[in-house]
Amino acid sequence: MAANYWASSQRLHWTFTKPGLAETRRQMEENEKALHKQYPLPEQRLISIFLMHQVNKLAKRMNYKQQIIATAQVYIRRFYTKVEIRRTNPFLVVTTAFYLACKTEESPQHIRVILAEGRNNWGAEIIPDQSKMGECEFTLISELNSQLIVHHPYRTLYELQQTFSLPNDEFSTAWHIINDHYLTDLPLLYPPHVIAVTAVFLAVVIRPAQNALLPHQHQHHAGNLAGALQSLTSPQSAAAIATQAGVHGPTAGAGASGSAGAAAQGRIVKVVNWLAESRIDMEAVVDATQELISLYEVWDQFNEKACKDAVLRFVQARGLDK
Amino acid sequence: MNPPPLYSDPPSPGPTGAAAAAAHSSVSQQPQPQLHTPSKTTTTTANLNDPADGRNMLAGGYSSKKRVTERYEIVGFISSGTYGRVYKARGRDGQVGEFAIKKFKPDKEGEVQYTGISQSAIREMALCTELSHPNVVHTVEIILENKCIFIVFEYAEHDLLQIIHHHTQSARYAIPARTIKSILYQLLHGLLYLHRNWVIHRDLKPANIMVTSAGEVKIGDLGLARLFYKPLHSLFTGDKVVVTIWYRAPELLLGSRHYTPAVDLWAVGCIFAELLWLRPIFKGEEAKMDNKKSVPFQRNQMQKIVEVMGMPTKERWPLLTSMPEHQHLQSLGAGNPRVLRPQGLENWYNACLQANKYPADKPGATPGADGFALLSGLLEYDPQKRLTAEQALQHDYFTKQADPPSENCFEGSRTEYPHRRVSQEDHDLRTSSISGAKRTGVAADDSLMRPSKRLKEG
Repeated sequence: MAANYWASSQRLHWTFTKPGLAETRRQMEENEKALHKQYPLPEQRLISIFLMHQVNKLAKRMNYKQQIIATAQVYIRRFYTKVEIRRTNPFLVVTTAFYLACKTEESPQHIRVILAEGRNNWGAEIIPDQSKMGECEFTLISELNSQLIVHHPYRTLYELQQTFSLPNDEFSTAWHIINDHYLTDLPLLYPPHVIAVTAVFLAVVIRPAQNALLPHQHQHHAGNLAGALQSLTSPQSAAAIATQAGVHGPTAGAGASGSAGAAAQGRIVKVVNWLAESRIDMEAVVDATQELISLYEVWDQFNEKACKDAVLRFVQARGLDK
Repeated sequence: MNPPPLYSDPPSPGPTGAAAAAAHSSVSQQPQPQLHTPSKTTTTTANLNDPADGRNMLAGGYSSKKRVTERYEIVGFISSGTYGRVYKARGRDGQVGEFAIKKFKPDKEGEVQYTGISQSAIREMALCTELSHPNVVHTVEIILENKCIFIVFEYAEHDLLQIIHHHTQSARYAIPARTIKSILYQLLHGLLYLHRNWVIHRDLKPANIMVTSAGEVKIGDLGLARLFYKPLHSLFTGDKVVVTIWYRAPELLLGSRHYTPAVDLWAVGCIFAELLWLRPIFKGEEAKMDNKKSVPFQRNQMQKIVEVMGMPTKERWPLLTSMPEHQHLQSLGAGNPRVLRPQGLENWYNACLQANKYPADKPGATPGADGFALLSGLLEYDPQKRLTAEQALQHDYFTKQADPPSENCFEGSRTEYPHRRVSQEDHDLRTSSISGAKRTGVAADDSLMRPSKRLKEG
């Protein structure tokens, strides 16, 4: 239910196993061979990054709360597990998902406001009229089985912030890692608290000062995360892991002198011990970390224009913008 | 066969503010769309080899995978409000049993364009698909078809308003104490479930509390309900007016911005009192909003409360003076002697038990002193001191007495309550006549049957 993840529609209906998700997508492709052949797209992970970026773009100018963005991103990801992207106008889907998320997150905006924002971003020739958006809302809700309440990792992150007395920079790093996880399939694969724990673990272990995960640093991040992952999977004592983290995290090593460094190492020990004692699914944490590493790697190949052109090609050729 | 009711519920608050902006509540009461809509829809048989077939989301238009009229046979019309109408239905092929189908109408009659779904409908859909508790009305499915939203609920033969009416109109005796205890017990269980899941109902009133023929109590109408976990904005920002006026908690009347689930427990207190007295305990007159911007102080409603409860004080309610509208309290007594000499809740309670002939000497036949203690714990001015649903359930009223609350509120009762009235005038509902026919709605006394009447403000 709404506050109880274990009884939520998210857990019961919108959580996939990895093979299950792959099979769902394979079947969709199987059913749409001709379309796939006619309108090739960059690989799924790149298109996914592209779509999620579009939500950010839409939200940016109006300074919407991150939770609304995250909810819209989850709607889009769920929707495209059921509907072939080449049969939709993704720009309209993004706009509509955002409009809907504003309502479910109790920050309603008039349909005209969001429509205008969409047209601002992608042009009136791509975003049709209000009626089409209203119709798209029906399609979206119908495909989502009216299951609109989404559980996010941010809630657990706030709790963990208290538990570990996270300083602002680590909290902020964890927050950004959570934001990034929406660019991947992770929201369809793991419970939000697993994501939050993963994000906190990585934030504490990599602990470099560069907490903002800027695009040009992706490779760097992938390296840091790989180091963190190693410490996560090796069966060593918490203290050894703390030291190891100092080795693997370049800036953490530099900052490890003095009391701030000692406090940081203390937190690593605390987090690692906590992880060991908790009944968190460690395999899931490891896998989530790997997904994030692969995100930061694939992000470097991301070319927004190439994705946009490929999407626009089928939208325009098939008259989906009408 | 139902005599005209003594009173009908005042309307639930309509959408205002930001919610209204999204809901564009340009709802007219007059013409009612038909449940059945023209069958000219695009059920395209998908051609897997042709990329240009009708499965394109936009080129083909939205077409529902499920059709209401294929799955349900409409028996008749139950009630209406600004959101739309409620119908009684029977399942077809495989769907067994009776159902109540709530149809959210499009904003404009015969609307050919989609205009965006109202915040209220979105809330109800989102919450209904997640909630599952024996004391909350069960949602069977939600169907989006022809620009309308249909929420299919389990059917309940009665509601509390109708039960209260039966006692004032036909039975002319009080509701048995055991029935009341069972109703409250079940109601509080449903409410505890909602609150534990961070849902405030915000429109509890007799008409929204359903009772099945098996005596199970079920909270209905989540159209004003919302989640309150770490809201992005204050609850007040979203909806300026919540809870039907007679059941509205004092902190809401005094303009509280950050209210809590305690508002629902005040309403439970009002409902408890109403079950005993068969009339609303605080039956004030609503000051209408003259424009959408400002919310008027509900002076008359506050007076009605103070006439019984006495003036709230800073001693009993420490945060009273931080309520935005508290300065209005000073002038409340002007020209109203009853405000200055309040009856007192205990006097009210004892007079009520006496008037309705609850036998004082038979334990179990009267709510007694424990009932009063519970009532005063619910009608506590300070929301922080007011009983929570959990505390109320642990109250002596439920735990101490020899007769524990029953799971069936009709157990031991010989009263036969009339079945929900279903209007048969809507013959054309079952036909496929196109929407847009003018309909003046139902007879004036249908308010008894309205499980959720929500009129537009002003």
